[in-house]
Amino acid sequence: MKKLIAGAILLGASSMAFAQPGCGVGAMIWKGQSGIAPHVLAATTNGTFGNQTFGMTTGTLGCQTNQSVQSMAMYMDSNIDKVARDMSRGSGENLDTLAVLLGVDEADRDSFRQILQDNFATIFPNSETTSGEAVDAIVALLEKDQILSKYVAA
Amino acid sequence: MRTTLQYGLALIWLASGTPVYANPLPDTGQLHEHPDWLTLLHYQKNRYTNGYTSQADDDAFFLSDDGKHSPESELRTTLAAISAPGEGDGHARCRFPARDRWLREQLALPETDIECPEYDDWKTTLNTETVTLVFAASYLNSPSSMFGHTFIRLDPPQDDDEADLLLANTISYAADAAAHDSEILFAYKGIFGGYPGITSIKPYYEMVRLYSDIEHRDLWEYQLNLTQDEVDFMLAHAWELRDINFDYYFFDENCAYRLLALIDVARPGTDLLDEVSTHAIPSDTVRWVVDKELVQEVKYRPSAATSVTHSLNTLPGDHQTLASAVANGYVAVDSQEVNRLPDRERAHLLDATYDYVRYQSEADAWPREHAAPLSHALLRTRSQIRDVAAADKPPEPEVRDDQGHDTFRFSVGGGRMGERNFSQLTLRPAYHDVLDPPAGYRSGAQLQFLRLDARYYTDNDELQMEQIVGVEIRSLSPRTPFFSPLSWQVGFGGRRTDTETDRVFTPYLEGGAGGSWMLGAKMQAFALATVDLEIDNDLNKGYDAAPGADLGLLHQNNRFSLMAGVKTKAWIVGNQHRQDQLYTRAGWHLGRDFSLFGEFTREDHYDRYRTTWQLGLHAYF
Repeated sequence: MKKLIAGAILLGASSMAFAQPGCGVGAMIWKGQSGIAPHVLAATTNGTFGNQTFGMTTGTLGCQTNQSVQSMAMYMDSNIDKVARDMSRGSGENLDTLAVLLGVDEADRDSFRQILQDNFATIFPNSETTSGEAVDAIVALLEKDQILSKYVAA
Repeated sequence: MRTTLQYGLALIWLASGTPVYANPLPDTGQLHEHPDWLTLLHYQKNRYTNGYTSQADDDAFFLSDDGKHSPESELRTTLAAISAPGEGDGHARCRFPARDRWLREQLALPETDIECPEYDDWKTTLNTETVTLVFAASYLNSPSSMFGHTFIRLDPPQDDDEADLLLANTISYAADAAAHDSEILFAYKGIFGGYPGITSIKPYYEMVRLYSDIEHRDLWEYQLNLTQDEVDFMLAHAWELRDINFDYYFFDENCAYRLLALIDVARPGTDLLDEVSTHAIPSDTVRWVVDKELVQEVKYRPSAATSVTHSLNTLPGDHQTLASAVANGYVAVDSQEVNRLPDRERAHLLDATYDYVRYQSEADAWPREHAAPLSHALLRTRSQIRDVAAADKPPEPEVRDDQGHDTFRFSVGGGRMGERNFSQLTLRPAYHDVLDPPAGYRSGAQLQFLRLDARYYTDNDELQMEQIVGVEIRSLSPRTPFFSPLSWQVGFGGRRTDTETDRVFTPYLEGGAGGSWMLGAKMQAFALATVDLEIDNDLNKGYDAAPGADLGLLHQNNRFSLMAGVKTKAWIVGNQHRQDQLYTRAGWHLGRDFSLFGEFTREDHYDRYRTTWQLGLHAYF
């Protein structure tokens, strides 16, 4: 599992600038997919647009020192809509992915899901919330929790 | 002689680099003709001459200068290079770990350890235990996606539930198109070559976002039964392919083709590439992989579109109306009508409405000023309902895409046009017609390539080309209270057309757009406005054009398909005239491999009535 987390960190670092606490705002929620609508013929001929890389470079990320939180921030940056959805329902694979990235033990998963669902309005206070703000809010919430604080310790 | 020379040259090269090196290289005999070696270097037999050519279009893939054409020279140079001392990322053993491993096994060379920091890191990061072939199915309103797309997912060990497959990495091969190329240029270069094909690695969640969320394509996950050893060898070879260019060709050397090559490498003797003749349609390649018993387990991941349709359809009728009203802003999220519902029903209503608003925002470009605050209100309200899980996911379709009919169709039939009897042969290399067996295909979607209809008239022993379909795409997507897709069609080719005195073969271009509505579970009615253009010397002014209409019914089920309707065209350029047609076409499906077909048309053209009918058999290969 640790390896998996490392994998997620490495991959993201190579491909995008992403949100972390105190390191930029990240993607705004419900920003839509403008500009990446599929080309009809691209879909037909299975082409791809834009730069793609094969190798995965390690990058120094700075800012947050907790690697797990960095990974979560990166995942939130590209999946914020779906994370918000699962959070409001208190279940779903994107919520599970956050738990995996933070290394939350199986035994603590239920309270992890519940605290995020209960505090949805704190994590996403309005429809302009960015993934960076949401990550900050999640970290702040977990830090206050006796059991879960260990997963976000710097 | 040549061999000796190369052998000598290799030794000289070795000697100059490493004076202390003394062990002679083993005799490799005919090893360079071993199928595994040919597969590893992507050699294919030359079509017209003796010898081989590698499909890799990149010097970096070969160690020998004439490696692209000489398996033998490449093998000898490789052997020399991997036998040379030294280590580090630049060493041949680190650049080509699969070749290294294979040669060492074949020649029983000592398995000395070597440090390859980059490759070792890469392997550790990918942490792969099993390999899954993922197939992105077509989506309803884009028959152009019918060919599907495949990529490979590298699954980490699943020893506990914590490993999350969304974080797994994927390998895909695609044409690297420049973003500014137009659709036309893309089509041209995609089909005839001109784009470099590149291998890329991305996390699965990005692929899910692209195919499942943005393109609305269901994903089928075929977990392969490769052993750990085979998986490791596949990865070693994937490493060799990094940044290596293989020119991309849409029909054969496409995304699916390169993945087959990768599986062939992983399990020698599989020979999936031998199945490829003229074209490798991704859905066909999945069939081959299934047929070769490479699949352990199949999983289904419904797209965002499939999920939202399912969650809306499973709401009770009055809740569907309410969901639509909330989504469109007629009813507030915290209104009395919503609040009075019991928790469970309210949760499912909010979930379905949210999914619908998201879908419409992306697919139909709902403005953010409306959609974002509404989305937020829906989720905030939903977050206050504890302990109600999301509704069940859409069920897995009974027939998978790879279980549908094969795509190459051969048909033989006989019929009568006016007073003339004829027999007809049809070849259709790809892909699906709405009257073919529908299982495993999207209903109402049609895509045909290069269909040839040849007729033999018995009265005067005349053989005629009746029609050549270049491309024909048709999409009949039913409109519902929630979704209002456009139904459309486009096609070009050559066909027989009536000039009043003769039937001449003329190039044509046709298109149409309109709507379609469900009349029952399997029946839809459609209405399309159409345009036809024909260009030929035999036509009065050299060309003719006709606006028109096509109204019809389409029924599709696993035993029987039927389409019936009326078409009218007003030819407006040459000698102006109407062409009206009443048509019925039907298919009776005998399992997955055969279908009986019948067609009947009654046409009024140049003030003449003519009846044409035909009966026959389709066979699918």
